[in-house]
Amino acid sequence: MLCQKCQQREANVQITKTINGKTQNLYLCEYCAHHAQGLNFVINPGIVPDFLQALFGLTTSAQNQGQDQALNPTQEKVCPQCGISFSQITQAGKLGCSVCYQTFSDQLEPLLRRIHGGGQHAGKIPARRGKMLREKVQITKLKERLQQLVQKEDFEGAVLVRDEIKRLEQAKGGEE
Amino acid sequence: MQRKELLLGQSEWLKESSNSVVVLSSRVRLARNLESIPFPHVLTPEKSHEIEEKIAETIKNITFEGEQLTYLSLPDLSPIEQQVLIEKHLISPGLVQSKGSRGVALTGNHRISVMVNEEDHIRIQSLLPGNQLRECYRLANLMDDYLEERLDIAYQEAQGYLTACPTNVGTGMRASVMVHLPGLVMTKQVQQILGSLSSLGLAVRGLYGEGSQAFGHLFQVSNQITLGQSEEDILTHLEAVTGQIVEHELHARDALKSGAKSVLEDQVWRARGTLQNARLLSSEDAMHLLSLDRMGVDMGLLPRTEKSFQTLLVDSLPGNLQYILNQELDPAQRDEERARIIRGALSDHTLTDKKESE
Repeated sequence: MLCQKCQQREANVQITKTINGKTQNLYLCEYCAHHAQGLNFVINPGIVPDFLQALFGLTTSAQNQGQDQALNPTQEKVCPQCGISFSQITQAGKLGCSVCYQTFSDQLEPLLRRIHGGGQHAGKIPARRGKMLREKVQITKLKERLQQLVQKEDFEGAVLVRDEIKRLEQAKGGEE
Repeated sequence: MQRKELLLGQSEWLKESSNSVVVLSSRVRLARNLESIPFPHVLTPEKSHEIEEKIAETIKNITFEGEQLTYLSLPDLSPIEQQVLIEKHLISPGLVQSKGSRGVALTGNHRISVMVNEEDHIRIQSLLPGNQLRECYRLANLMDDYLEERLDIAYQEAQGYLTACPTNVGTGMRASVMVHLPGLVMTKQVQQILGSLSSLGLAVRGLYGEGSQAFGHLFQVSNQITLGQSEEDILTHLEAVTGQIVEHELHARDALKSGAKSVLEDQVWRARGTLQNARLLSSEDAMHLLSLDRMGVDMGLLPRTEKSFQTLLVDSLPGNLQYILNQELDPAQRDEERARIIRGALSDHTLTDKKESE
């Protein structure tokens, strides 16, 4: 069987692609199979920034709807830490520095929701910087636990948890 | 440690592991940045150099599970050395392509590596053979703890670890497994199964970005979401899905064995025969044949080989091949040398089948 693409070489690779449930089989020679872009699973590294730019673009255009033409570039807000503007971020597909997350939080919020489906950080808290944060989270978790125990009428357990919360809150107050 | 010795050293992930049928290797990567410092892509050359020095010095002073890390600055490495590191998955192609002062720190066994000034200031990676996501996370997390003791890391309560690209913000963690799926490819189920993963918040890629499904039957599956889920959640989810993929692959292999045993045996023995006798092998040919050979070994149809599938695969890639032979080779010469290396590895040292009965 000849390659379905070049019609010259012998087909020795079968490629199956499924798009929206439709399956298509292609019989190609090795050369054409290797060059058959779009049939690959592979994400071309170049696509990632484009893809992000598109996502950023979507965000900006949605926000500009109903507004006048884009602001004069000289008036555009820049990050006080790194001096980068949101349009530069859109172009690069990357933020300029950690402070950009605060500076452009309004523009980033819908984007982050689109990428990650919303929600706040639920993972690791750094030991040194996050000591205070960790205690806060621990107290919140204990308070939830306390409520569960009270609901289950496990008052002995509840007293223990309540004392633990007290201890943590006092220790925290002592440090401040 | 001497650079050549460090680069030629066998990476932990290339070793054979008892639990590496289907899941060949596991990886966890953590992205971190320094507080109040612009991300690498907007740093001036002077500042970029300063940051590289600062992080490299910090890493050099860490004793990681009894080991020191060696730091390699990228511009000091030859293009072939850079290629070796990419092929061994110790640096990303992005590190080579980006500008500014940048490099990588490695332990002797390559279990942990830290890229400096790639897309983020710090990229910690742990890479191990087989299905060992938890251990990868333990190692990467430990390195993260050491670095955080000594450096101010950009972090916010609501958004977690702040990264140059918003796709990494939160945990900054990308966990992935490399899976070997010849059974699913041969039974034409691979698209269906891997295609469903995106709806589960997971991404699929080929081995080195070149993996059209015809070559190597190798796929990497990783988490896409980094914000709103804990590291534990992400690992548990990936482990569960990986378990499902493994089950389907083994099922497909069983189906092939019972439905088309002689065809299957013929295919894997032909692969072994070609690898033992071919005088010219392209990278793609080698990957494909090694993959079939590996499946034959895993299914007890072929005697086990001394060198692992992963080792032969990586050794036969252009950068490693040239580095091992210590000479520059054009593509035609590479095909010849690749065939020679694989022939040598499979012909003389084929061991009797030590595989325990299943």
